[in-house]
Amino acid sequence: MTLRRLTLFAQHLVVPVVLLLAFGLWSAQAEDFFFPPLTEIVRVFADNWLFDRVGSDLVPSVLRLLAGYAISVVGGVTFGVLFGMSRILRTATDPVVQFLRALPAPALIPFAMLVFGTGNSSKVFIIVLGTMWPILLNTLDGVRGVEEQQLDMARSYRIPMTARLAHIILPAASPRIFAGMRTSLGIGIILMVVSEMVASRNGIGYFVLQSQRSFEIPAMWGGVILLGLLGLTLSWIFVRVENRVLRWHRGANGLLPESDQSSKKAGSTARKNAPEVNDA
Amino acid sequence: MRQPVKDKGGPPSVAVPETAAPGARAARRPATGAWPAKRADLGIKLAGVLVVLAIMELCSRLGVLPRDWFPPVTSMYAELFRLIVEQPLWVEIGRTLRAWAVGIGLAALLAVPCGVLLGSIPLAYRMARIVIEFCRPIPSVALIPLAVLVYGTGLEMKVFLITFATFWPLLFQTIYGVQDVDPVARDTARAYGLGPSARFWVITIPSAAPYIATGLRIAAAIGLVLGVTSELVGGAPGLGRAIAVAQSAGNVTLMYALIITTGLLGLTLNSAFAAVERKALRWHPAQRQEVAR
Amino acid sequence: MLEVSRLRKVYGADPQAAPAIDDVTFSVADREFVCILGSSGCGKSTLLRCLSGLIPATSGEILLHGDPVLAPPKDMAFVFQDYSRSLLPWMTVARNVSFPLRYKGVSKEDAQKATEEALEAVGLSGRQKRYPWQLSGGMQQRVAIARALAYRPKILLMDEPFASLDAQTRFDLEDLLLDIWRRFDVTVLFITHDIDEAVYLADRVLVLEAPAKVALDVDIPLPRPRDQLKTKQLPEFAELRTRLFSAIQREPAAL
Repeated sequence: MTLRRLTLFAQHLVVPVVLLLAFGLWSAQAEDFFFPPLTEIVRVFADNWLFDRVGSDLVPSVLRLLAGYAISVVGGVTFGVLFGMSRILRTATDPVVQFLRALPAPALIPFAMLVFGTGNSSKVFIIVLGTMWPILLNTLDGVRGVEEQQLDMARSYRIPMTARLAHIILPAASPRIFAGMRTSLGIGIILMVVSEMVASRNGIGYFVLQSQRSFEIPAMWGGVILLGLLGLTLSWIFVRVENRVLRWHRGANGLLPESDQSSKKAGSTARKNAPEVNDA
Repeated sequence: MRQPVKDKGGPPSVAVPETAAPGARAARRPATGAWPAKRADLGIKLAGVLVVLAIMELCSRLGVLPRDWFPPVTSMYAELFRLIVEQPLWVEIGRTLRAWAVGIGLAALLAVPCGVLLGSIPLAYRMARIVIEFCRPIPSVALIPLAVLVYGTGLEMKVFLITFATFWPLLFQTIYGVQDVDPVARDTARAYGLGPSARFWVITIPSAAPYIATGLRIAAAIGLVLGVTSELVGGAPGLGRAIAVAQSAGNVTLMYALIITTGLLGLTLNSAFAAVERKALRWHPAQRQEVAR
Repeated sequence: MLEVSRLRKVYGADPQAAPAIDDVTFSVADREFVCILGSSGCGKSTLLRCLSGLIPATSGEILLHGDPVLAPPKDMAFVFQDYSRSLLPWMTVARNVSFPLRYKGVSKEDAQKATEEALEAVGLSGRQKRYPWQLSGGMQQRVAIARALAYRPKILLMDEPFASLDAQTRFDLEDLLLDIWRRFDVTVLFITHDIDEAVYLADRVLVLEAPAKVALDVDIPLPRPRDQLKTKQLPEFAELRTRLFSAIQREPAAL
């Protein structure tokens, strides 16, 4: 068992280690302008990001991202629930929503600069405009997909509308809401960077672009690596939160480890794949 | 344990095929004449669009919004019409689309074989996993400065960025698709004496096809985002740069007309790919629901 | 007392369309156990949904204790066939049971007491903190029954509640239901397509034929308490069973 684990562990690590070593060795003697020595990148990375520029570039970026993301989550869920529950609203807004969703958000950067100037609000606006739709559309679909029988049950027990919304519709839609939020997080990071590359005075995106313009290639690579790390960290946090909130969902679909399920349900996987199948 | 297959590909990826409507609901509600309902829907949609446009027009004409920033919608569309007739629009669209098509094509050529390989050989997947997981979260746009340095501000730069960005969703969808082949189908094929290569063509590829179609739809959206962004930030010719130029020249109406064009282009591409995806999904809608979203 | 007279239900706007329920009249006395028996697609579920006030009838009248049923009434509880869909997977067992009570104006302590009592009655005490998906199908349906019991209804509507359970679990739950029916003094209206189940449980069996019309109204004078082995061995049981079976068999010809 432990040997097996060790082998698995080694298999996971061997390629990254080899690649890193190979790149390190190659870059040390290659003197390639675009690919500076690994040690140099690491040194510059430490110089910049431990912790000189954390306050001036990293924090503003992350704050803008979080602000935009929060607005999108609140707005997307609210409108998603509204549109999910009203067929007329849903149908009437569909073309506009589809258009805005298909419109590449960076195309609106000039518009945002025109309207909001070059400060934080234009960047937040761009992030909201790109991240709102996946959340909205997923919420909408989640709301529409609530089990009819749960709603019947709520009606037969005379549960008032607000309680139905809070205790049945939103929880039932939450797996889809989280799916949308996950998609949006990725988009949000992209838009954070893009919006900082156009008319900005700080932020990671600004830093990366500035490094390139002043030909500080190791610093540019450091910025790219930092963005990768930021993406990893945020998605790690997201998955932790999601797993916690949606534990019931994974349990109900038979995806929790065996020890958490006292009785394994036959047909649980079948239901996950084909919701309309009655588990007889 | 592997997470449930879900599209983790990032950007706009949420077109939900209508097939996803839970069967039980549809069964209980008896259909009341599908065609008139559809026509009524169309009317409601049209009304929705017209209301939004009318509000924008009114806000601009009545000066609720500053006229310099929000020209009347009618003049935006007049400008758009002029652009269509006078053709500079098609040139810009063509520039953007060419990079988009080449980039996605390259990404598909690279990602699908890699995905099949990683999906069918667990050892390969395990070995490559950390590298993939580290590269994926790097926002492709962060590489714009590098791409500009290496490739200049032409087509190559755009293609590189689009290929890099769309490679990941295609790769992951292919891996999921190949890994998700129904074991019963595989066992059946084996029991009937199909060899490995026959199994690959008869079982693996058809099973993975819907996932790849989904990957392509996601890639189409990301590709356009990257195309426009690289034009906007990197200064390569195309719709993105045209928008930036119009803005800095103070030609607001032109800017809006170009933004509308970009949106319509995105809408067209998205609808086309969603249609392809629905077709690929049709043979097994319930099975694909999770991923399709 | 539940009185149903000349009930008719047509889906959709077209009054000429085939009715799902056509002219159903019957009544159920207080504390009576009535089974509605019919083959699939004969409109049983539609009938029950009308009776519960979940969907409006096209014409006819439903009176519960003299009051017309237009929306789900206060002293009625519904147990659905598909337990996995009517229980809320994000709530614990106890929460599932107590959840409707909050909106009935029951105080927190009373709700907790009623929940414990109901879970005990269905043999699930000690599972309060579990989630529905951690339980077997039979136990999940027990939770749904407990939820109905805690609501303290005067009348319990059950829509093929045991149809998706295996035979042994089903027998256990039938006996549990009879026990609860006696202890909680409720009227039960139970829909099933299983003749044995109907005869075993009921005081009276109504046979529905498509489109739902009451074709037969049979008293079941079998002695109580009933027993899975002894009751089913009685010659009267076999006789009633045959009678209902031939009524159902005849049904397609009646169309």
